[in-house]
Amino acid sequence: MQIIFATMSRLFFVLMIGVSLFMLFRGHNEPGGGFIGGLIAALGFALLAMARGVETARRALVVHPVALMGSGLLLAFVSGLPGLLSDRSFLTHWWTEIGSTHLGTATTFDIGVYCVVVGGVLCLVFRLYEGIEQ
Amino acid sequence: MAWIIIIALAGAAIARPAAELLGKASGWVMSLVPLVLFVLILRHAGDVADGGAVIATMSWVPSLGVDLTLRLDGFSMLFGLLITGIGTLVTIYAGAYFAEKPVADMGRFLALILLFMTAMLGTVLSDDLIVMFVFWELTSLTSFMLIGFDGHKPEARKAAIQSLLVTGGGGLVLFAGILLIGMTLGTFSFTEVLARSDELVASPWAGVIAVLIMIGAFTKSAQVPFHFWLPNAMAAPTPASAYLHSATMVKLGIFLLARFDGVFATMPAFGTTLVIVGSLTMTVAALKALRAEGYKAVLAHSTVASLGILVMLIGLDGEVAAVATVGFILAHALYKAALFFCAGTAIHATGETSLRKLGGLARFLPVTAVAAVLASLSMAGLPPFVGFISKEYLFEAQLTNGWNVVPIVVAVLVNAVMCGVAGVVSIKPFYFKSHRVDAVKHGETPVLLIGPLLLATGGIVIGLFPGGIGDLLIGPAASALYGSPIDVSFQLWHGLTPMLVLSVLVVSIGVAIVIWWDAIHDRLRRHDRLFRLIGDGGYHWVVDGTLNVARLSTRILQNGDQRRYTAVVVAVVVAGLAIALFAGPAGLYIAAPDGSLRVSVTLVLLLSAAGAVATVLGRSLIAALVSVGIVGFAVAVIFMLNGAPDLALTQIAVETLLVILLTAVLLRLPARQRHSRTVGERRRDAALAGAFGLVIFLAVASMSAIPLDMSLTEYFGQTSYLEGFGRNVVNVILVDYRAIDTLGEIAVVAFATIAAWALLRGSGPSKRAKE
Repeated sequence: MQIIFATMSRLFFVLMIGVSLFMLFRGHNEPGGGFIGGLIAALGFALLAMARGVETARRALVVHPVALMGSGLLLAFVSGLPGLLSDRSFLTHWWTEIGSTHLGTATTFDIGVYCVVVGGVLCLVFRLYEGIEQ
Repeated sequence: MAWIIIIALAGAAIARPAAELLGKASGWVMSLVPLVLFVLILRHAGDVADGGAVIATMSWVPSLGVDLTLRLDGFSMLFGLLITGIGTLVTIYAGAYFAEKPVADMGRFLALILLFMTAMLGTVLSDDLIVMFVFWELTSLTSFMLIGFDGHKPEARKAAIQSLLVTGGGGLVLFAGILLIGMTLGTFSFTEVLARSDELVASPWAGVIAVLIMIGAFTKSAQVPFHFWLPNAMAAPTPASAYLHSATMVKLGIFLLARFDGVFATMPAFGTTLVIVGSLTMTVAALKALRAEGYKAVLAHSTVASLGILVMLIGLDGEVAAVATVGFILAHALYKAALFFCAGTAIHATGETSLRKLGGLARFLPVTAVAAVLASLSMAGLPPFVGFISKEYLFEAQLTNGWNVVPIVVAVLVNAVMCGVAGVVSIKPFYFKSHRVDAVKHGETPVLLIGPLLLATGGIVIGLFPGGIGDLLIGPAASALYGSPIDVSFQLWHGLTPMLVLSVLVVSIGVAIVIWWDAIHDRLRRHDRLFRLIGDGGYHWVVDGTLNVARLSTRILQNGDQRRYTAVVVAVVVAGLAIALFAGPAGLYIAAPDGSLRVSVTLVLLLSAAGAVATVLGRSLIAALVSVGIVGFAVAVIFMLNGAPDLALTQIAVETLLVILLTAVLLRLPARQRHSRTVGERRRDAALAGAFGLVIFLAVASMSAIPLDMSLTEYFGQTSYLEGFGRNVVNVILVDYRAIDTLGEIAVVAFATIAAWALLRGSGPSKRAKE
């Protein structure tokens, strides 16, 4: 069971990260968004932590969860600055059209939300699972 | 004009690294910042000479209607010049005062002093009341940090907190007054408030606004009953005392009252209150000055008395009162800052703070002694010093106002005490033979002398040639204060007038006080009860009372038992909802169910109810966790069935995460454990839980009886793609319409998580080193 779980966890992890990114980017038009995407990604990392240890999950995340959270917050904040410059209104988003998709600072904002959620959840998950014998 | 604030702020920002780089020379170099600002402000002298004002506006928070409007008129120019001028001398002086201290201390001090200067300039220059309030509170904060500069001393910490509580609290009262002005007039611009003062005075809120603003000013300027914090603030390093607690910050209250005197001119009670409070403060402070022992303490009490005089002067009407106010502000700033500098040099040289133990210092500090004598002659109000002129105006203002005799008697006596204090603080430590100091740790250095000498000679130069300063500063400032141009003849000699008689009387009593100082002092020290009454007992009573209430409520509410916390929260929610439901205007109304029974929804609800029951009855924590999970997933399905896929997705993800997090916690707990709750406690829990469920049921049922207002839904549905380029309305609301709320929420999530993360730090048995 442990071996099967550990082996499958890799696959699930990749799948869940993929789904989370999908959720993140389709969120503007279909159900989804940064918050849900972030939760799913965090679940993926939590799965990895449960199956292969917190260290593996930490390495997969590359950056420290607190740093991720901070950069997410910064990203969301920065995404509001262009609007401040052009319209004198913080968080009024800029948009550009590439083909039929609209991209804009709202997407950046959502990525910020995503990062905060992933970082925040993983802060706690890693902390709680550290020190528990596999 | 905005450059004034920007340069000052930049100076504060670079002070610390500059001090590291420059070492001992940093006092000189950093003093260039206030000096440049002094020149910049002085360049506007021509523009305000006729009582006009220079105004510069830039938009700051347009959506709240807050503009960064700066307004320089004669009165704020007087303050601006005092702030930057004395600021220059303080920075130079601090360079020598901190010479033996670590460089980091000097950097910290200079940074705080310059930050304080920025805040002061902002307060006196801003026209928008909200902006002024922000700077006003910034002065309180920097004052707090400077009083607590020697944070390792308990008395410094106590004094710092006291001053912050009093001045910061007073600032909040002032803020309430400002908000009421905004509510009444619909503007925060002071220029406009002044123009529409009739409207303000006629409004029903006028009295409340006046009281709130007076309280704000009284706390800042240490008026009775808030007079106690200023003498305690002497725990600050002496350069800071000279700057903040005599020359500039404590005069902000005066500044504010003087500004609003124009607004409330038609409200007689305003002036009367000021005269009464000012006279009371003068009396109390004079008594305390006679009794004080520390060199700085005596000066501090006399400062409080001077502030009382100023408050009283603002309460008086007429041109002469305006001139007297302005003249006294200038004279007091010059001589008091100089005396503080001299006190600082004497204390620095001997390490002795008590006035009684200092004597014969003139041998070691000859120039300081001369500066002290010059400054104190101005303080005593002797000709040909500027202090004499301002005192003449003070008496003239009182006499021409036709006030009854009590305030005049008070003014004469208090001025006599000030005269006595002036004599004592300058003659006793430097020339008296008793308690002679035989050796000093440091002599005086030229740097320590610049400040006191310049200020003290300034007092005599202005006294001898009052015309120039009268046209340049006093006239415009008094005109701005009075509201229309005044022809000021600021002169030394007024001829043989009743004022001169009063002056002679003051000096004679003052000389008597100097001669019998020790005797008066000893006599007063015996009256402990009286001085406890006029001390800071009330403050301690309030603070201790608050702390006791906090301790009591903590013992009851925060006793560390999680079950009790949950019970309190649940009980409050139940009570709140029940009151809202039964006592609300609509009363309890539940719609009769309509439509047919939806089988699928019913089944899911039954499942979730079964999960809830299983949770309560489950014997192990794991079983309870799984059962709670059933409820959560059932809720997700309900969302799904009702067409809210976003909510359902989130609910499922959160539910899963909850299981993962709780599992980690449970892994550290014993899997099976008997209940530690007694039967009675379990019954109480059950009753609470049942009540909670019932109330929520009633709330949901009555909520669904209210017809749903669909206008918002329609608005978002229609505009979401056109304005936000997204078809998922929920997401567009989150990232666009309400993006600032979301930003706030993720910030809260981040900060809460960091706190939890830090708290969990110790829980892991190992791996701490890796973090």
